[in-house]
Amino acid sequence: MRRSVGLTVLATALAVVVSSCGSGVIDKSTDGVPPAEATGTLRVLLPSFPPSNEGRQQFQKVIDDFHKAYPKMKVEPDFATYNNLNEKMSTSIAAGYPYDVMVTGVGWIQPFASKRIFADLGDFGLTPDVIREKSLAALIPAVTYDGRMYGYPLLADTRAVALRKSAFIEAGLDPEKPPTSLADIKIAAEKLTKRDSKGNITRSGFDLASSSGFRQSFTTFLASTGTPLYVGGEPNFDNQAGLDTLLWIKSMINNVQPYGQVNAAQQPLVYSGEAAMGIVGGAVDCSTGGKGIGQKNCDDLKFFRFNSGKEIEYMGGDLASIGSRSRHKQAAWSFIQSLTKPDTLDAMAKLNRKLPAYKDAANSPQAKSNPLSKFVAEGLDKAANENEVPPNWLEMRGNFDIQLTQAVLGQKDPAKVLHNLAGQSR
Amino acid sequence: MSTTLERPALATSRKGEVAKDKGTLTRSQVRTGWTLLAPALLHSGIFIVIPVIAVLALSLTDYSFGDTWSWVGFGNYTELFRDVDFLASLWHTVLYALVVIPISMAISLAVAIGLNQKIRGIGFFRTAFYIPTVTATVAVATIWLWIYNPGSGLANGFLSLFGFAPNRWLADPGTALGSLMVVGIWQGLGTKIIIYLAALQGVSRDLLESADIDGASRWQKFRNVTLPALGPVQFFVLITSIVGTFQVFDLVYVMTRGGPGSETRVLVLDIYQNAFQDLKLGYASAETVIMMIVIAVFIGVGRLLQRADTND
Repeated sequence: MRRSVGLTVLATALAVVVSSCGSGVIDKSTDGVPPAEATGTLRVLLPSFPPSNEGRQQFQKVIDDFHKAYPKMKVEPDFATYNNLNEKMSTSIAAGYPYDVMVTGVGWIQPFASKRIFADLGDFGLTPDVIREKSLAALIPAVTYDGRMYGYPLLADTRAVALRKSAFIEAGLDPEKPPTSLADIKIAAEKLTKRDSKGNITRSGFDLASSSGFRQSFTTFLASTGTPLYVGGEPNFDNQAGLDTLLWIKSMINNVQPYGQVNAAQQPLVYSGEAAMGIVGGAVDCSTGGKGIGQKNCDDLKFFRFNSGKEIEYMGGDLASIGSRSRHKQAAWSFIQSLTKPDTLDAMAKLNRKLPAYKDAANSPQAKSNPLSKFVAEGLDKAANENEVPPNWLEMRGNFDIQLTQAVLGQKDPAKVLHNLAGQSR
Repeated sequence: MSTTLERPALATSRKGEVAKDKGTLTRSQVRTGWTLLAPALLHSGIFIVIPVIAVLALSLTDYSFGDTWSWVGFGNYTELFRDVDFLASLWHTVLYALVVIPISMAISLAVAIGLNQKIRGIGFFRTAFYIPTVTATVAVATIWLWIYNPGSGLANGFLSLFGFAPNRWLADPGTALGSLMVVGIWQGLGTKIIIYLAALQGVSRDLLESADIDGASRWQKFRNVTLPALGPVQFFVLITSIVGTFQVFDLVYVMTRGGPGSETRVLVLDIYQNAFQDLKLGYASAETVIMMIVIAVFIGVGRLLQRADTND
């Protein structure tokens, strides 16, 4: 008798544990329920708000706006970073408790959409025309998979090139006529590179901003020749343009810049004068003190774009999606609408030093706040990125970083590397 | 002359039950035993047995967090042995273990012997050697990143005093893995030193004094008295070192992320990359199974060596 009582208690305890770990915490669906009556928790994963006081305050404003439509629903944010985004998404899926709203970047949509982890936003009326009308057309390929829309652009993360006028003048080059083609950049970079008596580079001629891998820079350089990395999910780099681009990178590394060069502040080297020219992000802080580089430094910079046949600037971005297993899809869409209010996007742009992904981004407060943001905002129509990536892009990202590095460092034959990457992409 | 031991009286339970023979316990004893074991069994079941079974099952699938998956048999395993990243990771891990384990064990033993002497400030030295072990690996890695910084790092600064050209340490394919090994050796010393120190204090003083009386040199005493006495501890340190080095991850993740290229890519990093970045959980599970087998092989070899050493 006592034994059976003990077993019953144990079984009950286990049942409680299992139910609380399992589906017991998953809400009932609110889809179809009037918003004012919907209850439950909306789980939101996003790298667009830093978990600082300022970030949390801005996020609270989004929640407040969302609560106007869904007053009874709780919002549970997870302030991720791009480094741990995949871990968070995959573990939540494996646990059977996926997020309702997920904000990812360019290159994430296709792999997750192909696994049916993201919901088709066409169900909420999202079409390419809607994005063209309200957001940035350049990000349409980034949110499209198999002809359907799986994400809504929030922010644009752009890259340009900067040169230091003083370094150009010192080297006898005209800073008003920046070199834009790969060939001209190499010639100028070699003139701008400074070395000590032992031949060690003391100032890089060109910062490729590729300390963690050459995937993004290769994509950018290749796009500037008019060759997108992928077309319709098919590789477009296993060709002469791809090989020339990779060989150009190889000819630059340890010639005009030591491999792996990065400064402690993790800022573009051209800002600190450690490089005379190089790739920069989408914003520069010209203030003096703190993280600012100072007005004098700012005045010494000139921004331009790559153009080896096609003028381009690299563009990534923050893209909002809805989980296909979400039990609150309508609420999630409402939350995305709160996220995409212009004021919210402006706040997010400022927090992340990116541009708001709305139609008139060139006139946004962020674009007007510093010369680099102004410059990249004016070139949003020249945006380029990996383009229409294949479903296995998440795997290919790592493959690109490893294998391009091996080619650049002379460990593998560049042509074979590109051929191999093309094979892996299919 | 013989001694007869009387058999103790059989245990009697609360209800008057009598245990019948050797190895036979009363019901209440059995119940108590299982009750005491239950937390450990529950823990092992949830956190070891179930995950191991899950990994074995997942390794036979192509599960990638999506809605659909299918059985692929041993497909993941055959694919792994054609995967250059996996093979590179396996080789780097084995190499890392083969270098780090013996060097760190030898240094730890030497330091422990030093700390076992009656010297001034012994408490300070013991603390100093143990600090790296209790310091978070991320903090350790961050400091070593600065030490290895090609431009302003301590390593190049120190070497420049002797006229050496600056090295790119973690950015150079030729030195990256070696640089990580140095950190791994340094970080693992503390625990091993403490274990050796405890064992050294248990070495029979009688035997050491006998060896002194017999005129044995320091080396002879160490070789013939101290070292054999440390046998079981050596085995323990070896096993924990094998497991620890094969599971190296955080150090590599923070310092190099497996680069340059794949020069410092190790098994756990590759598993992490496949599982949580590439979302190939089935494939990563197969890799995990292989890692478990490799660790088991290494432990088996260590055990054989230990037995051979004991038989000597």
